[in-house]
Amino acid sequence: MSTAEISVWRSSQAVKHNLRVAVISGDRTISSHLVTWLQGRGHQPLEFVADENVLGALYFDPPDAVIIDLEDAGSDMQQLIAELKADSYFSMLPLIGLFGNALPEDVDWEDYPLDDFLVRPLGHKEILNRVDLSVQRIRRVLDNNPLTKLPGNTSIQNAIESRLGNDAAVCYIDINNFKPYNDTYGFSRGDEVIRMVARIMANAVREAGHGGFSGHVGGDDFVFIVKLDAAETVSQKIIDHFGVVATDLFGEEEKAKGYYVANDRLGNQQHIPLLGLAIAIVPLNTPKMTHSGKVAEVAAEMKKFAKKSGKSCFVVDRRKS
Amino acid sequence: MADRKAEIRSIIKDTKSLPTLPGIITKLSALAENNKASVNEMARVVSSDQVLSAKVLRLVNSPFYGFSGRVSTISNALILLGVNVVKSLAMSSSIFEMMEKNFLGLWEHSLGCGVAANIIANRLGLPDIEEISTAALLHDIGKVIIKIKLSDDYSELLSLIKEKDICMLDAERELLGSDHAEIGELLARSWFLPEKLIEPIAFHHDVMRSSTQFAKTSVVHVADVLVKCSGFGFSGDDYVPRIQPEAWKKLDLKEALVEEIVAELEDRLVDCRNFSLEIQSGSEA
Repeated sequence: MSTAEISVWRSSQAVKHNLRVAVISGDRTISSHLVTWLQGRGHQPLEFVADENVLGALYFDPPDAVIIDLEDAGSDMQQLIAELKADSYFSMLPLIGLFGNALPEDVDWEDYPLDDFLVRPLGHKEILNRVDLSVQRIRRVLDNNPLTKLPGNTSIQNAIESRLGNDAAVCYIDINNFKPYNDTYGFSRGDEVIRMVARIMANAVREAGHGGFSGHVGGDDFVFIVKLDAAETVSQKIIDHFGVVATDLFGEEEKAKGYYVANDRLGNQQHIPLLGLAIAIVPLNTPKMTHSGKVAEVAAEMKKFAKKSGKSCFVVDRRKS
Repeated sequence: MADRKAEIRSIIKDTKSLPTLPGIITKLSALAENNKASVNEMARVVSSDQVLSAKVLRLVNSPFYGFSGRVSTISNALILLGVNVVKSLAMSSSIFEMMEKNFLGLWEHSLGCGVAANIIANRLGLPDIEEISTAALLHDIGKVIIKIKLSDDYSELLSLIKEKDICMLDAERELLGSDHAEIGELLARSWFLPEKLIEPIAFHHDVMRSSTQFAKTSVVHVADVLVKCSGFGFSGDDYVPRIQPEAWKKLDLKEALVEEIVAELEDRLVDCRNFSLEIQSGSEA
């Protein structure tokens, strides 16, 4: 990298000012201090009290960082944090918790999925630097896929390893006919398809209840984990929902015909079928599943079956060995 | 007049949200209590309300999610956003403190248009029926802006209509130098809604100006006329415009077919009336 390149890279990485920072607190004094400080720094503070409206407001107009007052009695902040972080799109939103001066020695951070914290009394220099740092850090350490914000391979492998032997299923999604779609309609349209599949999968997994996991291997490959008895229902739901949403991806003519015309590598005209999903379901409760490599191996075999028909479908590995 | 236009533009730019009827929110909270509430059930309630539908479409088409200008139906929006996000969004909606007659009338008119457009698109065998119904539901969103953000002008409009015996559209043009179709278009653009929804909103009073969505715009226009004719809801005046010949021709309408459509619409409006009563009683609670 040349010096010029490095400085360009730095400026694109630098935390910009005028961040939109949400301040959630029931304490008027604290909240007005924070607002004044943030404004002084050139940020744009957004004040909220923790009521049933706050989550919707954050979803509707997502900020760049959130400072959340955990001393706010009478509202369930923990629930709010968990709810927010459960949506993959908000996993990269820095959450800074504000504790009272009696911070316990061993906060259970599993219960508080925060990115940083502050303890009263508050100093304005510290607060402003924490906000900037947490925005910077979350951009740096994200294992998540930049396109879909879903966890990447390290997290996927950990999620599988930790569930080996359980009554759970690892399900691999692959988009049928994705490459020709990308080639014909362009990268940005292809990226939209990827983001759609990610949202559809993550929503279906989340709506299926606790203990689920959604990840993005890369390209048009996705993984989700749900309880074994829910695997087929969730897979079918993902396929159905993708079928509905795919109507926004093609023109009227293509939808009516069920294919579109594109040139293959040799320049010949080809009828390319519309997009679909192939899902391979691999149960984890059999003795042969000893490590995540084995799971991937079985999934690769299953995927071949699932892709054979060319239509959206799922297949389940029912072989005992 | 140029000042008014600039004022309207800046109002629209600052419009992040609009209030809705409390009864709709009551109904959605009831669904939200039920953890098993499906996308379809939620979609049915959301798509009865023009304001909530517009908000959901604004969110899913916002640059944050990366589908800008792509998502045109409530079902697709719900699938992509997820039930949780839509629940929270609905719960955070501001609501009218009081049920106001004119707003209820406009709400009913929009609901009726969505239903009428659905019947027409169905009978004509057109593709993308849900998208057409959504466009019809949203076609008068500009009137919501006028009513909420320019409320003094709205009262003045109503007196102007009575005084001069003119229609809403003419009164708007006289008073604001703009009209609800144009205002709706501006809002739809600033909320990143797809072109497929923008044209029917912008040109439902002048179908010839539609360039890429002529058929959809025509359906919305016809639906608007038929619902005004039915007497269900109140869109601002009691004036029933004629169906524009270009729309009639584009959709290849026949008198017999229109009669069938009107008969089916009358049936379906009975359900709409009941639904409206339910929403009104939910609002009083």
